[in-house]
Amino acid sequence: MQVGITKFPGTNNELDVKRVLKSLGIKNELIYPNDVKKMDDMDALILAGGFSYGDYLRPGIIAVQTPIIENLHDYANSERFVIGICNGFQMLCETSLLPGVLSTNTSTKFISKWVSIKTRVTSSPLLKGMANRILRIPIAHFEGRYYDANEEITKLANKNQIAFKYCKDDGEISLEDNPNGSIENIAGIINAKGNVLGMMPHPERASFQYLGSEDGRIIFENLIEELKC
Amino acid sequence: MYSGKAKDVTLLEDNNVRITFRDSISAFDGVKKEELNEKGRINCKTSVILFELLNRYGFATHYLSQLNDIEMICKNVEIKPVEVVCRNVTAGSFCKRYGVDNGIEFETPIIEFFLKDDDLHDPLVAKEIAIQLGWITKAESTLMESTTRAVNQVLSAIFERISLKLVDFKLEFGSTDEGVLIIADEISADTMRLWEIDTGEIKDKDRYRKDLGGVIDHYKDVLQRLEEIESYPEISIKSTAEITIELKKSVLDPAGEVTLRSLKRKGYQGVEEVRLGKSAKISFSLTPSPNLQEIIKEISDSILSNPLIENYTFDFSSGE
Repeated sequence: MQVGITKFPGTNNELDVKRVLKSLGIKNELIYPNDVKKMDDMDALILAGGFSYGDYLRPGIIAVQTPIIENLHDYANSERFVIGICNGFQMLCETSLLPGVLSTNTSTKFISKWVSIKTRVTSSPLLKGMANRILRIPIAHFEGRYYDANEEITKLANKNQIAFKYCKDDGEISLEDNPNGSIENIAGIINAKGNVLGMMPHPERASFQYLGSEDGRIIFENLIEELKC
Repeated sequence: MYSGKAKDVTLLEDNNVRITFRDSISAFDGVKKEELNEKGRINCKTSVILFELLNRYGFATHYLSQLNDIEMICKNVEIKPVEVVCRNVTAGSFCKRYGVDNGIEFETPIIEFFLKDDDLHDPLVAKEIAIQLGWITKAESTLMESTTRAVNQVLSAIFERISLKLVDFKLEFGSTDEGVLIIADEISADTMRLWEIDTGEIKDKDRYRKDLGGVIDHYKDVLQRLEEIESYPEISIKSTAEITIELKKSVLDPAGEVTLRSLKRKGYQGVEEVRLGKSAKISFSLTPSPNLQEIIKEISDSILSNPLIENYTFDFSSGE
């Protein structure tokens, strides 16, 4: 079993993800923009965060023009798991594997802080056993304001595709705990099939006690468990 | 199908048209007219050479082939009611209209739009008027202007090679059944002004308008020089697209809001809203064409903007 972690010029989270996978005893490989063949050998793919190609035009938009992301639709259609974290989530939206778009934070500031998020769905194997679980987890982004037309958000909610919402430490979901202005406090979503997850918070930075939280670790553990099945 | 002042157009079974060049010549909206032996043949051949040239340089034109001495086969188009004139040097009606001397060279070629209507004496029209009255669309006006500028670049270089100065010319455009805008009609000494570079001698239809005589001899001379060109010059045609991307009205623009607050704090009165967008300027080493316009739309839709939250507009031009 092998998990691929994408590496684009300007991304900087791949080694953090690698460390978590290593601690779980999982073989993993960095996947560079042209590594289509290598990517196809991977049992799952994690799009690590950072600032691909400088994020100049729009976050993730240049990365999604590369061969591995062009191949990602086929890859995801083959029922394999794809997790996009932060810039990876932005890529998944820009390439339309997930609906919506991540736009500039309402505060116009880069936000780097610990937040609480509440898990909303249980239909995806990636979120197994996490119903209503509150995770203490860091965010670090400038464009994290999830946006889509209201009717699309309703669809997402009805189909249980909203994965995480920003919340208070006790799980209450309120506007004041919305760090970036995301519509409906959305912090992460999954696709209809449940095999593609996109999230702005960084589970890899909350996977060891010495980092202050290991709440994010369960997402990787769920992934590994699924792959072992 | 249609009979004009100097040409007849016949619709063929395959939906192409046959354009027949007659020996007629006319001026001043048809008030002055005459038959000149060989004129049809000369203008047909001149048009054929110049259309083949434009096709070779990547322009979209109606020309398909030459049928015989006086006829060519072209794509069937609906001719736009507005024609484009490009001027490198002041001459003719331009001098009369503005009371300026003949022969002043423009730093940048001038583009003018005229309404094709003999009864109204083909009046000059502002682009905005032609668009708002529905004669052409904004996208068409942009393509007509940029195409005409690029054609000017090519024709000026070709005529310079045969010691002639391209003073001005007009182009007509038409749209095909598929709605693609292409260069149509004819391109000959009837539709342009050509001066001998060394002497300034007139080689075009002004010989007829001004009763200078030798119309056919000079038309023939221009054609002969064109026929003798052995190799065509390398001309680098450039097209530029300027794309402006804006957040949709319904989408919050935090950066615009911050800027607005700052302007208000500085005491600028009456500032209502600030929206910050992006702009991109893309240069192509390609001839302006409907196809290129489509490519720019595709780039804008798929990469430069995210249609969920952004709108874009683009302007299109060509230049050296």
